[in-house]
Amino acid sequence: MDPPLVNDSSFSAANPSSYTLSEIWPFPVNDAVRSGLRLAVNSGRVFTRSELVEHSGNKDVVSTAEESTVTDLTAGWGRRKTRDLNSEDESSKMVSSSSSGNELKESGDKKRKICGSESGNGDGSMRPEGETSSGGGSKATEQKNKPEPPKDYIHVRARRGQATDRHSLAERARREKISEKMTALQDIIPGCNKIIGKALVLDEIINYIQSLQRQVEFLSMKLEVVNSGVTTGPTIGGFPSGDLGNLPIDVHRTIYEQQEANETRVSQPEWLHMQVDGNFNRTT
Amino acid sequence: MASSTIQTLTTTFPIKEIFALHFLHSLSKLRRQKSFTGKTSERARKIKIAAYISMARATGGTSRRWSRAILWRLHRRAKARKILGYTKLKKRSSGADVGRIRRRRKDAEEDRLRTVVPGGGDMETLRLMMETAHYIKCLTMQVNVMQSIVDALSSA
Repeated sequence: MDPPLVNDSSFSAANPSSYTLSEIWPFPVNDAVRSGLRLAVNSGRVFTRSELVEHSGNKDVVSTAEESTVTDLTAGWGRRKTRDLNSEDESSKMVSSSSSGNELKESGDKKRKICGSESGNGDGSMRPEGETSSGGGSKATEQKNKPEPPKDYIHVRARRGQATDRHSLAERARREKISEKMTALQDIIPGCNKIIGKALVLDEIINYIQSLQRQVEFLSMKLEVVNSGVTTGPTIGGFPSGDLGNLPIDVHRTIYEQQEANETRVSQPEWLHMQVDGNFNRTT
Repeated sequence: MASSTIQTLTTTFPIKEIFALHFLHSLSKLRRQKSFTGKTSERARKIKIAAYISMARATGGTSRRWSRAILWRLHRRAKARKILGYTKLKKRSSGADVGRIRRRRKDAEEDRLRTVVPGGGDMETLRLMMETAHYIKCLTMQVNVMQSIVDALSSA
């Protein structure tokens, strides 16, 4: 589908120039002057027109030819496409022409020449043009259907790529899972619900973890102080050194019981929290 | 996998008690050690390591990679100490990352998170999130337990 695009650009570059120049020229000009002007603009195509004029020798034909150019301009995409198709039917020149813009212009001109040569005699000269235009119209409807299917196809293809491509499906599922986890993490961390944006949330998570780690460090220092204080306390109190090994265990046992008592008092919501953790894992 | 984690989390041992048990045991052990009478910073560091290790042990160390990473770090450290005396640890990265495909290493924040969570060096993002959630929960648990131990000790 690449050459039609190029064709379109080249044609739209070629066509409006003549059209706008005939528009720009405000004065009532006779056809010879107009054709001359067109010759000034792009020689090849207007040369075909002049050929047409020469063949038909009629003023009406020129005007209808101009109308045809206007309809060319208005018909736009599909029409040009039909032309390209026609030219593809006309084969070899178009094949040679599909490489660059200038060659395309030449091919278009050649094509027009061919049209002109096909419309050899005077009265019949207009009919192939009209036929081509009507055929172009019918083909334009075809083309309306035809470019739609490619568009649809591309669209459907994109949708297909979205929907059925396994990699993107897996990717999307993965992303959804990650975002689920992120929201779960946001629920865990206090005061993180209002933060929007992955980077900020991750930053908050990191800060929270680091603060927890710092807290652990601080608590271990505190424990060290307390622990050494406990150890030094009984030795100052005159315990024999042999009991020192056994003593901390008892102390710890009592502490552990105390702490368990504390835990049972304090930790009910935290157990719920761990249950929530279980649920959290179940969702994975 | 999910059912197994649920089992390890709910039906087996309560993590908090296990952590407290391990931690107090290691504290008493540390106090009986002769080398424990060093600098206060050294002792604090040892207590911190003991806290992390007991936390890692309390979680079972099976399905969670961060706990395994902590235990593995300890293991390596002990090994290095045993072989070479005390040396600084080399970075593990070369050994662990060889042969693994690293995908999506764009996110700077995510990389920071990987450095913060132990063992998070080469995880997938989803796994990293799960590990982070669990790690945060265990850290809060650890902080609570340690705080209660400190309170109990200072009051006693």
